[in-house]
Amino acid sequence: MPKQKGHMNAALLAMILFIGSELMLFASLFTAYFFIRYGVANETWPPLKQDGEPFKLPVLLTLVNTLILVASSFVLWWGEKRLAVGDNKGLIRGLWVTILMGGTFLIVQLNEYAHLGFTPQDRAFSGAFYTLTGFHGAHVLVGLILLSLCLKRAYRNDFSHSYNTPLTAASYYWHFVDIVWVLLFFLVYVI
Amino acid sequence: MATHAPAPAHAPGGGHGGHEHHEDPRPVSYWWIRAFYGTVGAVLFSFLLLFLLRSIFGFEPLYDGAVYGGVAGLLGGIGFLWGMGCFDFWLHWSKGGDISKEDHSFHGVSNWKQYFRLNTDHKVIGIQYLAMTLFFMVCGGIMALLIRTELAAPGMQFADGETYNGFLSMHATLMIFVFAVPVFGGIANYVLPIMLGAKDMAFPRLNALSFWFLPVAGFLFLASVFTGMFSSAWTAYPPLASQGTMGQTLFELGVQFAGASSIATAINFLATIVTMRAPGMTIWRMPILAWATGVTSVLAVFATPFIAGSQFLTMFDRIMGTNFFVPDQGGDIIMYQHIFWFYSHPAVYIMLLPGFGIISEVIATFARKPLFGYRAMAFSMVAIAVLGFGVWAHHMFVSGMAAWLRVPMMVTTIIIAVPTGVKMWSWLATLWKGKLHLKTPMLWALGFLFTFLIGGLSGVFNGIVPADIQVSDTYFVTAHLHYVLYGGTVYTVFAGLYYWFPKMTGKMYNERLGQWHFWLTFVGTQITFFPMHWQGLQGMPRRVADYDPRFATVNAIETVGSYMLGIATIIFFYNMVVSWKSGPKAPWNPWRGKTLEWMVSSPPPLFNFDAVPQVVGGPYQYGIPDARHAVVFAPEEFGGELKEDTRYPVVVVANQTLTSQTLIDEIRARNADGLWSFELVVPVEDGDRVIAQRRLATTLAILAEYGVSATGRVADGDVVEVAAQAATAAEAHEVIVATLPLSESAWMRSDSVDKIRKATAAPISHVLVPANDARAIAGASALPLVMVVATDAIGAEALATLVRARADAEPARFTVVAPLDLPDPRWGTEATELRRQAGEGMTATVNALVNTGVAVEGQVMDDAPSVALPLAVGAYKPSRIIIAGVNGEARALAEAAEAAAGDVPVETVNIGAAAGA
Repeated sequence: MPKQKGHMNAALLAMILFIGSELMLFASLFTAYFFIRYGVANETWPPLKQDGEPFKLPVLLTLVNTLILVASSFVLWWGEKRLAVGDNKGLIRGLWVTILMGGTFLIVQLNEYAHLGFTPQDRAFSGAFYTLTGFHGAHVLVGLILLSLCLKRAYRNDFSHSYNTPLTAASYYWHFVDIVWVLLFFLVYVI
Repeated sequence: MATHAPAPAHAPGGGHGGHEHHEDPRPVSYWWIRAFYGTVGAVLFSFLLLFLLRSIFGFEPLYDGAVYGGVAGLLGGIGFLWGMGCFDFWLHWSKGGDISKEDHSFHGVSNWKQYFRLNTDHKVIGIQYLAMTLFFMVCGGIMALLIRTELAAPGMQFADGETYNGFLSMHATLMIFVFAVPVFGGIANYVLPIMLGAKDMAFPRLNALSFWFLPVAGFLFLASVFTGMFSSAWTAYPPLASQGTMGQTLFELGVQFAGASSIATAINFLATIVTMRAPGMTIWRMPILAWATGVTSVLAVFATPFIAGSQFLTMFDRIMGTNFFVPDQGGDIIMYQHIFWFYSHPAVYIMLLPGFGIISEVIATFARKPLFGYRAMAFSMVAIAVLGFGVWAHHMFVSGMAAWLRVPMMVTTIIIAVPTGVKMWSWLATLWKGKLHLKTPMLWALGFLFTFLIGGLSGVFNGIVPADIQVSDTYFVTAHLHYVLYGGTVYTVFAGLYYWFPKMTGKMYNERLGQWHFWLTFVGTQITFFPMHWQGLQGMPRRVADYDPRFATVNAIETVGSYMLGIATIIFFYNMVVSWKSGPKAPWNPWRGKTLEWMVSSPPPLFNFDAVPQVVGGPYQYGIPDARHAVVFAPEEFGGELKEDTRYPVVVVANQTLTSQTLIDEIRARNADGLWSFELVVPVEDGDRVIAQRRLATTLAILAEYGVSATGRVADGDVVEVAAQAATAAEAHEVIVATLPLSESAWMRSDSVDKIRKATAAPISHVLVPANDARAIAGASALPLVMVVATDAIGAEALATLVRARADAEPARFTVVAPLDLPDPRWGTEATELRRQAGEGMTATVNALVNTGVAVEGQVMDDAPSVALPLAVGAYKPSRIIIAGVNGEARALAEAAEAAAGDVPVETVNIGAAAGA
């Protein structure tokens, strides 16, 4: 990008704005979720499925999964710190571990879908649940793709202390995915 | 011949940063064939994939139109984008391919066909945006005319209710999602980077992708005509939207593509504004359009995801069977409206704020005054944007939403009128005591002030809960929104299009057609939409195909108004196309604007600036001596630094018509622009060179009297050659050829005008002069009047020779006065005969003089010189009197003349010998 002295890095600014936009997308989905939740507040929570049983979410398993995802953010941060001191190998290691942890999160989440015992076609709550977690899963996938591209470039020694914009942008995105999940976990699973 | 960016002066080899400009060699057809295969391939792939998945998992039914249509629309759109090459660079990059920062092979166009392929030049993308959005405006406009035709009379005319709903849904959807929202992206794309002193947008490839999202969105909407039109209006409220045809799914997908386009462009604009400003361009020196685009972009980035969310939810309900909007399954319909309006109210400002920016530019330029309250203008836009996020539920006062939300939303809605009022008053204060130039862009700006004011005031009505409950879903709302969007979007877009048309195309539009377009649209708008206020208050519901017969008259009138709007649009497109193709060449700065885009050529060179401009002051310092916005150095061939008072040459070719009022009026009208210097060229083939000299001297004197800067020469040779040489030598911006009508013009008989057109690169204007106008010497009043007194010399060749000699010595007009001193009775035979003879002689003299290019008229008077001359001097007020006497009579005439003359000099010439009695 043509960069002029004294100005912000355009690519990082764009990533921050994009993340802002993505946050608003999740905000709209959370709005939907809360309207549905408010609508059944006078009955019971968790609401009842079509077969009369209450919706049950595997909170403990998801807590572990949440910790994996949160930890992956710290691993990525560690990898970037390694690059800052010129340790490209450290960056590659950090990226590999982050990608593996993110992949684990996705697989655990898909496994959870398979064993939940309700489908998106159940009552409105299930639609909101699958939409929120599904959208988040798609974002994790995008984050993994971005990190994989960075990994490929890290193997080519493209990044250095002075040039790391794509890596920084990808890591912003990964932290965003992480933070949204923490929100989602608290708002949908815990409370 | 249309010219396209890059301007020829900056064509390949011009040396930009030392690298040559290589164009991608693949022809336009390559990309479209690839896009065709991409689309068809993706659609077939999605069918196959769905079929396999549904058979494996045993979904019933195996074929579900909504599901197949939805997935095929999504993947087909992506396939199209791939085929157009939108992703090529990133795919290449992600495979580790070789990339170069200096690869500009998709930048700029060298012929009009290349506008139909992927391009990364912000100027090309700007024009692509405008052409595409105006195309969708026409589609939406046709829908509007169909609606008005159906409503022309009570009862059903040609459409059934469902079709009518389809028309109105398609009308609103096209107008909002692929016209009103993205059209400003087109104008800002073209203008904003230049205004900021940047070479391009921050992300040119993303910019190209944002544009190509639009045709996908628009054609998904339009495709629904073939799959069953969506008919739940642009708001697509469930449960209506849950029930509609396959078109509804395509609508939801189209909105996603349009939204993605909007977000990507907005991010691009913000990155450009924040990081790409030229040195010295502080945020308080940015033109208001940059502020407007920035604020709009913040709205687009943070609000658009909400409509994406709302359309995802309805689509999931439709194709996945979720129950977001099924109340007995725990769904909530009001929730849709909240999410939808949380975008769609800010979207109103997305459709208005850039227009406010354009109007600020236009009004300051055409009022020749600094923009009043620059900072207040900027802050009020920020305030509108912030408040705009807090008013969404005023669209839902009757929806059954939480009742406590009504009053807070009413209060914020009314508060938002305050910053809007600040802007309105600032525009008026800018106009106050300005030197207004009522060119087409300014007319649109003034039309905007009037129309938008009415829309804004009815908006306050609508914002007040009890009033809104009364008028909800009536034509009052229709009137309000059309006043707001016609005024705030359509008028401002047209103002911007006319304002920057010379910059974008390098050609001037036709001012007369532009004014016709404005007045037809303005009157049409008021006729079509003003009566709707009354209709709404009387209770006529909107979005219904039939109505109570008592509304018949008013609906018929509105239909007539809407047809006026249609005709105006035809005039607009005719003007745009013909002017781009063959309009007069535009100078760099036709409006004497101060902002940076007027300091580069029209159209601008490939990378806008040859050297980075240095901004040194505010953008609107009109009328402040020595105030400068920026220092820009032009290339050498344009003479170094650009001065604001540079005049550009226009060549005028005429001979017999040179002194005519028609031609002189034409030159004066052009001169009023303050941009041109005129070179008059008189081609003489084998006629009288002296006559040509004389006509030229007369015309130059008249023009000088009017303050027109002009030079002239007589040139020997064929008119075509002379004109072509003069145009080339002067680097003329335009050649004006004046001729008599075909029946009397040798030039016209030999097709000279067309031949000149072919022989020169400059645009040609043909001025047709009526024969009697060519004979009467024009603008004569501007020249000093010389009175020639003669009696016996009337009709003699010597008199004509004398007058010619005087005319050559000093440009003047002449009146030949013949005091006859007729014998009594003056009605007698003798007197009548004398009068007749003198009249014939006078006619002969005047004709002889007029045919040789002298401005002259004649007057035969009955009385003796002692009576007649005081009358003549009193009537004509000559600046000099010449007595053309034959021998003895000269003295008597001179005495009478001197007695009558007062302090007017009298000169006596004896032409007796020459006249030979």
